[in-house]
Amino acid sequence: MSVPDPHPGMPYPGPPRDGAGPSDGLLPGAPPAPGTVDDSWRRVSVISPLVRGWIALAAIAFFFGRDWFEGLFGPGAREGLPGALGIGLTIALILGLVVLIALGFLVSWYFTRYQVTAEYVRVNSGVLFRQNRQARLDRVQAIDVVQPFLARIFGLAELKFEVADAGESAVRLAFLRLTEAQQLRATILARASGASVAPDASGGIAEAPEREVVAVPSGRVIGAVLLSGTTVLLLTAVVIVATVTVVYRTPFAAPTLIPMALGVAGAYWSALNSGYNFRAALSPDGIRVRYGLLDTRAQTVPPGRVQAVGIDQPLLWRLKGWYRINANVAGYGAGAPGEGQARATLLPVGTRAEVFAILALVLPDPGTVRPLEVFSAGLDASGAAEGFTTAPRRARWLAPLTWRRSGFAVTGTALLVRSGFFHRRLAVVPHERTQSLSLHQGPLERALRVMELQLQTTPGPVAPSLSHIDETAALELFSGQARRAAEARRRSIPEQWMKPIQQPSGAVMPPPPSYGPPGAGFEPHEPPDSPPRDQGAPVQPPPVQPPPDQPPPVQPPPDQSPLDQPNRQQIPEGPGTHEQR
Amino acid sequence: MRREPIDPEGIVWSRVSPKYLRVRLIGWFIGSVIYLLIFSIPLILRLAGVWPDFPPLAIAIALPAVVLLISAWRGLLLPRQVRALGYAERDDDLLIRSGVIFQRTLVVPYGRMQYVDVAVGPLERAFGLCTLKLHTASPATNAAIPGLPAAEGARLREQLSSRGEARLAGL
Repeated sequence: MSVPDPHPGMPYPGPPRDGAGPSDGLLPGAPPAPGTVDDSWRRVSVISPLVRGWIALAAIAFFFGRDWFEGLFGPGAREGLPGALGIGLTIALILGLVVLIALGFLVSWYFTRYQVTAEYVRVNSGVLFRQNRQARLDRVQAIDVVQPFLARIFGLAELKFEVADAGESAVRLAFLRLTEAQQLRATILARASGASVAPDASGGIAEAPEREVVAVPSGRVIGAVLLSGTTVLLLTAVVIVATVTVVYRTPFAAPTLIPMALGVAGAYWSALNSGYNFRAALSPDGIRVRYGLLDTRAQTVPPGRVQAVGIDQPLLWRLKGWYRINANVAGYGAGAPGEGQARATLLPVGTRAEVFAILALVLPDPGTVRPLEVFSAGLDASGAAEGFTTAPRRARWLAPLTWRRSGFAVTGTALLVRSGFFHRRLAVVPHERTQSLSLHQGPLERALRVMELQLQTTPGPVAPSLSHIDETAALELFSGQARRAAEARRRSIPEQWMKPIQQPSGAVMPPPPSYGPPGAGFEPHEPPDSPPRDQGAPVQPPPVQPPPDQPPPVQPPPDQSPLDQPNRQQIPEGPGTHEQR
Repeated sequence: MRREPIDPEGIVWSRVSPKYLRVRLIGWFIGSVIYLLIFSIPLILRLAGVWPDFPPLAIAIALPAVVLLISAWRGLLLPRQVRALGYAERDDDLLIRSGVIFQRTLVVPYGRMQYVDVAVGPLERAFGLCTLKLHTASPATNAAIPGLPAAEGARLREQLSSRGEARLAGL
């Protein structure tokens, strides 16, 4: 960092952590603190060209190395001097090429600079074709800190800043030091949230505190992978091939399993890699999600950025009562099948209690007094229980299996769309997030007096659609939903999520919202109004930021003076933090 | 026009310009002729004796006949399709309807609009029409109103923009 460092002994001072937590330094008139992210232009880490270009280097090493190696043992290798000369020439060539490529990377690195101001993040890049990119901070949809395996070895991380473009990341900074990336993320989130009082009071914006809500044990991730549809596919293929082999007494069918096995192994690997060590936490800056086996990712989705939530349960997961939660986030877009899907996952595999915990984060106000019952009915019930409107009986000619299951329910804040007979799905769309609605009716549906209603949300894995709903109910939902969406938008939180919600001063960040203590083995994280613990904990600066797969230790504020930043809420270390493990 | 079950109650639909039917008819005619020519190739080659006997005569005749039939059906449907197009501006949202056999009604809240496009093709320009398209953050929102008179299109665009700004809600 290029800022004055009052602690010259420390290699990287980091944010001041004197126990006052994230609010420190955000006050107007606070003295400029060390380790701040100021408005100066800065570059990414010097080693990053090496991490990015290692594939090119490895390829060169491989090709030339092989040539040279083969030359050693080939004919004419034992002719003495010419061989030695050849080796010398080859080495010189390799070195020259490596230097050239390194120079190229170095030049591109030199010309890539970024800046974070109070309102924008800017990146200038390119040597011949210059590119100046600027993204508004309050338009942030999500921030990812990604560590590919090699970058992880070097302690580097990539920062991705997503706006609602649904395409490539608005800003990608590869690579920064991990602490630097986390510091930058904290700064961007603090400024985007509107919590920063003065733009220049950028002193030591620490990472917002967080509280872990769900941690998925790795055994369950492996179990979920084994119980996935891929396994069913694999078993089916094995049975078919075995049958063919036995019946026709020919071994020729067996080799077809090899590409299949490769594909299945790949699918297993990506599911394992993206579900391993999965943790979800709540912070004032939104939902934090961390996962990864070799490549690790820490994603932050600020409040109100989740456009739709989809909970689904593949057939075999019913044995264990597991569910998966996906979400549409505008910045993530539809994405590539592998990475995009992983990024949109809020819970790769979880029990029902964990589903409710995550749902409570995404939809803090369920809009009903019986959220557990209603969402449970949405998860796996059929019929009209808990306010669900299903397809009428006459629709069974169009949907013989699903007519009882497919249906919808409306709560005060969200629309629940239920579907799927074998693979159960529930889509939850907050009213204020509805982009548009459409009613469809074909000739068969008209004859049976039913309709299809589609909700359009931002691109992502969740595409809520209601089929075969009775005409009157569909029309009522159509106009009612349009009205509810308009109402909800008027009440919805603005882009700068910290600004208008003035917490009473001295307010302590409440425990993560949950849908109350239910019956079915659901442990509440904390009684709603238990006092924060460790209120008078001794002030001690925690160590440097931990790696992203460990939640940073949360420091409760020692003194909640009314002057203390009223917006940045504090999360006390509660007793329920690690209950889910 | 009678109220279809898909139309919400109490909506007075603004219809698109009747001139749009002519645009659609011209487009339909050109398309039909091209399709008919393509699918007549086997028949022509057969009658000219270039292909001695590969496609049976029945198939060679049936191909253009089926194309002709489909074209005629689509042509007959066109007037109703154009009449079925409609839009309605409400206080908070815009409604768009379309379709005769497969009907659709779409509602887009003004606050969800990201931008508005007005496009004019050569045929539409000849008739003084334009196509207005609303874009939300969802690419699945297919909110286009074709066949608007140019003045009405401009008015609607301004109206939608100002209403969208007033009710802007980000995403």
